[in-house]
Amino acid sequence: MSFLTIEDVTYSYQGKHPVLHRINWGIEQGEFHCLLGKSGCGKTTLLKLAAGLLQSDEGNIMLQGNEVVKPSAQCGFVFQSPNLLEWKTVIENVLLPITLKRKITKEDRNQALELLELVGLGSYGDRYPLQLSGGEQSRVAIARALIQRPSLLFLDEPFAALDAITREELQDDLLRMCHMHHITVLFITHDIAEAVYLSDVVAIMAQGEIVYRTPVKLERPRTMKMRYQLYFNELCLTLRQVLSGEHS
Amino acid sequence: MKKMPIYSLLLLVLLLVIWEWVAGTLSELVLPAPSVIWMTLIDGLASGYFTPHIIRTASEVLLGLLFGCLSGFIIGILMGEVTFLRKLLFPYIVASQAVPKLALTPLFILWFGFGMTSKVVITALVCFFPLLESTVTAIQTSDTHKKELFKMLGATRFQTLIHLKIPAGMPGILAGLRVSVVLAVVGAVVGEFIGSSEGLGALIIATQAMMDTPLMFATLILLTVFGMILYLIVSWFEKKWLKRYQKEI
Repeated sequence: MSFLTIEDVTYSYQGKHPVLHRINWGIEQGEFHCLLGKSGCGKTTLLKLAAGLLQSDEGNIMLQGNEVVKPSAQCGFVFQSPNLLEWKTVIENVLLPITLKRKITKEDRNQALELLELVGLGSYGDRYPLQLSGGEQSRVAIARALIQRPSLLFLDEPFAALDAITREELQDDLLRMCHMHHITVLFITHDIAEAVYLSDVVAIMAQGEIVYRTPVKLERPRTMKMRYQLYFNELCLTLRQVLSGEHS
Repeated sequence: MKKMPIYSLLLLVLLLVIWEWVAGTLSELVLPAPSVIWMTLIDGLASGYFTPHIIRTASEVLLGLLFGCLSGFIIGILMGEVTFLRKLLFPYIVASQAVPKLALTPLFILWFGFGMTSKVVITALVCFFPLLESTVTAIQTSDTHKKELFKMLGATRFQTLIHLKIPAGMPGILAGLRVSVVLAVVGAVVGEFIGSSEGLGALIIATQAMMDTPLMFATLILLTVFGMILYLIVSWFEKKWLKRYQKEI
């Protein structure tokens, strides 16, 4: 049994429009998986089902042998937009998941500061989100997702709105932190290079089904140079062809 | 643009000069000169003549604001949160919006007497609706993505309300409060017009009977200043809150 198992999951909106059709997937502990697909292919829905934000019509989703019926504190979620609360300071935003559970202790604050330090925003704790750039806001969102020390992290195109250089920096930061805390990751993107650079396994979704799956045989830690290797580019090409339906 | 306050002040001086000059050619009963009004105002304040009236009107406005805004806020939250309540009450809210609230003053005086109660009730009623409406809208229109975040974090309905919906709706709620504050003064004064022996509104009616126009103007100035102070207090809070939504510190 995998760490996260998705079994025969089917989902449709209001019982009418089928969005997902009999999806099967498994993620082992510590692995980084990417779901790649065009918009509207159902990847965000699958992520929300796995996170317990939605309930499937049929099939099971198991996390360490327990069925997922509601969001668990063991899982972190990073949304498409940073989704920060504008009226709270950066550090209050990072501490939000704990604020909702119990009183904040000094250790919590230190941990939040440590996380901010890790994402390169150590001195930004007292600022308000709108005083930060888009990339900095995304970093805060990641720090917030990590404050509860999740064992599983879901990310829904978190870097889609960022410029290429910032995105690459954040990808490196994300990989570093997930490795450091042994976090299992399910990541959604429509950016092929991003998927290949980050993942151990890439899957392609189309019309509510997983149509392709490939391991990524690149060493870790990943480095910028790998992006320009032949293997990397060939894999990108294959994925690109699958996405446009040319590969069978 | 930095000099704009100076220009505004100069305009005021110019208007006062013109007023003083025009007033010189008219009877004091029709248009008293600013200097006369000023003397009346200072005299009244120094002798304590205005004090009971100011206290009376201020307490009516503040009590009315307190009750009206508090109930508007609480019912607004309930209607924003509970769809059943919103659907049940919405037609009545629309209907009561159409009623000219101030026209109810004679009825309230009939019910609650000539004392302070009737004025507090009318003031509260006038403040109630703007705050109710802005609160309902603010609670309902909070961001879906943020609500999803709270769901992911396992927040209860109450926590979502306290940590998300109310603070997120604060700009709208404060805008409603700003409207309420101005209307509160109108409510109290109109209430006093109709039946009261004390208060700045009652004083205006009395000066009309006494044909003491300078005193009437002095009272109007007091009311204007009072309204402005309330408005400025709310604006100050609003600015302080909205500062967080701005890019610069």
